[in-house]
Amino acid sequence: MSINSESVHAQPVQITATWTKLLWPLWVLLVAGGVFGIYLRLIHGHNMAGYGSYVPWGLWIGVYFVGVGISGGSFVLGSLGYLFGIQGFSERSELRTAIILSLAGLFPAFLGVWLDLGRMDRMMNILIHPSFTSMMAFNAWMYNIFVVVAIVSWILSFSKQNALLKPFLVLGIFLSILFPSQSGVFFEAVRTNEFWNSPLLSMLFFVSAITLGGASLLFVRAAGAARNASANQTWNLDSALRVLRTVTILGLIIYVVFEFAEFSIVFWNPGAHSPQVEFLLFGDYWLVFWGVHLIIGVFIPLLLMASKNRGLWVVASFLAVIGFGAARMCILIPGQVIPQLPGIQEAFQDPRLSFTYHITTMEYLVVLLMIAVGMAIFYIGSLLSKSIESGVSHG
Amino acid sequence: MKKVNEIMDRREFITAGGLVGAGAAVAGLAIVKDRSGSEAVDPTGDNTVRKLSAVTNLKPQANEDDHVRMQRELERAMAKPVEKRKWIMVIDTRRCVGCQACTIGCIAENKLPPGVVYRPVIQKELGEYPNVALHFLPRPCMQCEKPSCVPVCPVKATWKRPDGVVVVDYDKCIGCRYCLNACPYSARTSDFGRDYTIAEATGARDVKGAPIYGAPAPWEGLPSNEYGKSWDRKNHGSPVGNARKCHFCLHRLEKGILPACVTTCIGRATYFGDSRDPDSLVTELITKNNVQTLLPHWDNKPNCYYIV
Repeated sequence: MSINSESVHAQPVQITATWTKLLWPLWVLLVAGGVFGIYLRLIHGHNMAGYGSYVPWGLWIGVYFVGVGISGGSFVLGSLGYLFGIQGFSERSELRTAIILSLAGLFPAFLGVWLDLGRMDRMMNILIHPSFTSMMAFNAWMYNIFVVVAIVSWILSFSKQNALLKPFLVLGIFLSILFPSQSGVFFEAVRTNEFWNSPLLSMLFFVSAITLGGASLLFVRAAGAARNASANQTWNLDSALRVLRTVTILGLIIYVVFEFAEFSIVFWNPGAHSPQVEFLLFGDYWLVFWGVHLIIGVFIPLLLMASKNRGLWVVASFLAVIGFGAARMCILIPGQVIPQLPGIQEAFQDPRLSFTYHITTMEYLVVLLMIAVGMAIFYIGSLLSKSIESGVSHG
Repeated sequence: MKKVNEIMDRREFITAGGLVGAGAAVAGLAIVKDRSGSEAVDPTGDNTVRKLSAVTNLKPQANEDDHVRMQRELERAMAKPVEKRKWIMVIDTRRCVGCQACTIGCIAENKLPPGVVYRPVIQKELGEYPNVALHFLPRPCMQCEKPSCVPVCPVKATWKRPDGVVVVDYDKCIGCRYCLNACPYSARTSDFGRDYTIAEATGARDVKGAPIYGAPAPWEGLPSNEYGKSWDRKNHGSPVGNARKCHFCLHRLEKGILPACVTTCIGRATYFGDSRDPDSLVTELITKNNVQTLLPHWDNKPNCYYIV
């Protein structure tokens, strides 16, 4: 295998000494908390979780869709930037960073959804005996094919002349546009739920995926930039950051416009799903929607990105990712908390038969492990990339 | 930024198009294949005919008890192949007194653990004091003609039988709970693996007045007979972790016994039978009364009717 000359000169994302000092203790804390969460999950089953039979999905499913968004968005942006030769994306090492981030977003998502299953031992049934009438099965297959395509693309990226890299990237782009959009269809397909059964959801999920990809790629590239970078590398990085900043800003604005289109109509013509929107905007979820999603996740990032300070862009991208976590919950939870048969909750009382949902400590702890797994995959993937690059260039 | 003709050469372009096109074609075929629903899951024909004789020693009489009549009609229906029967339930809300005997009967019959319920009775208070009334609405599974829970299952673990009953294969279900979200009637609940304790059954409380949570009651270890099989929940065995729902007591029907909720109803408010039998009591009830179904706007076409 020979390596492309441009890869030899460009450095992959490097975790600097300063960041290492901060990240290692943070990662150890995340793992410690997460392992305790997994222990609670495995010992007590789902009984320490806040979800039940009437609100069947909770935090892990919300975080799962954030991971899917990061994965799809970073692959689309990294690959399109590489194919079109956009400065800051046109080198193989830069492409590899996007691919590794894509995988680092997807595997923790798998972990979350696996822990959410009632029968974790039958996880493979979805691949072995799928029913493609279900968007869940279709998504599961799509993710797995995408993982193979992403890994193959990553391997091919080390080869100097390979006619398959670009076709595989195109296939990967095709898949990574589809699967985040299908995440919206996952909810739309529930035709008996007024709140979810909206064709705009797939567009919301797609836009959020591109934005999540932009924000997370901006974060890892800026935060992980090498201190001893050459002028050329710095110029490339800055170009990439400017592109990613533009993508993030546009994505945030488009998402909010779509959201306004979705929710504002119920005020002019109150329809069947207004109780869910009432719950979201003015009920128990008002703080998540207005506070975490809109203020922390949209308005503050937009303000920070309006500056020229790259450090503030990093903070903004981090907040945007947090905000999209809240945005996911703003779709997931209101769609489950309004019973269609009033009085059903009181008819037979049990903690698992409730239309209220509060995230429990165990659920938060498991999310810490999901984050730690994502960080570990990105770190190991980046080291592996660097190791192979140097091995090939010296070989 | 590259010019368009620099992005890919012809060979790469054709390969990319081939990969994407082949992927899209395979995905499309997979969807069409599963949408066509050609796979037969349940046995049909003569193998499904049951010769039952629980009421052969009772001669049919005019104005006989509804339960005896339904029993007779059940045996008549079971003498036909499964695809010639269509089970429906009719609930006369005017007769329901809200005793919840059907709820408890169902729990006892199917050994339902805490948090799993197939037939709750919804209570609604109408009017203003002193002119108030309580109305009751038992809610079994609607066994919909177009069940919204079936197509969302990612592993073919739930389907509609030829006799109209929507069933769950506990050995296939992965517990994703997608079907729970798809059912507008909240008729599916997840078995989270809990057990009733002796203390819960007796109402025992500790010195501070809190319920005592101890070891599972011995009867919790007894297997249930849903779907004609023996399900042992010990050691995380199915149906722990699965979606569970009312199945019109199919295991009882196979033995010529009416569903538990029907036989335990003290007000004679629940009727069950074969709607393909023109002389059956249920056919008579839905054609001669003002019947309604729940949430008809979803077009699920429920097979549970309410006389109001």
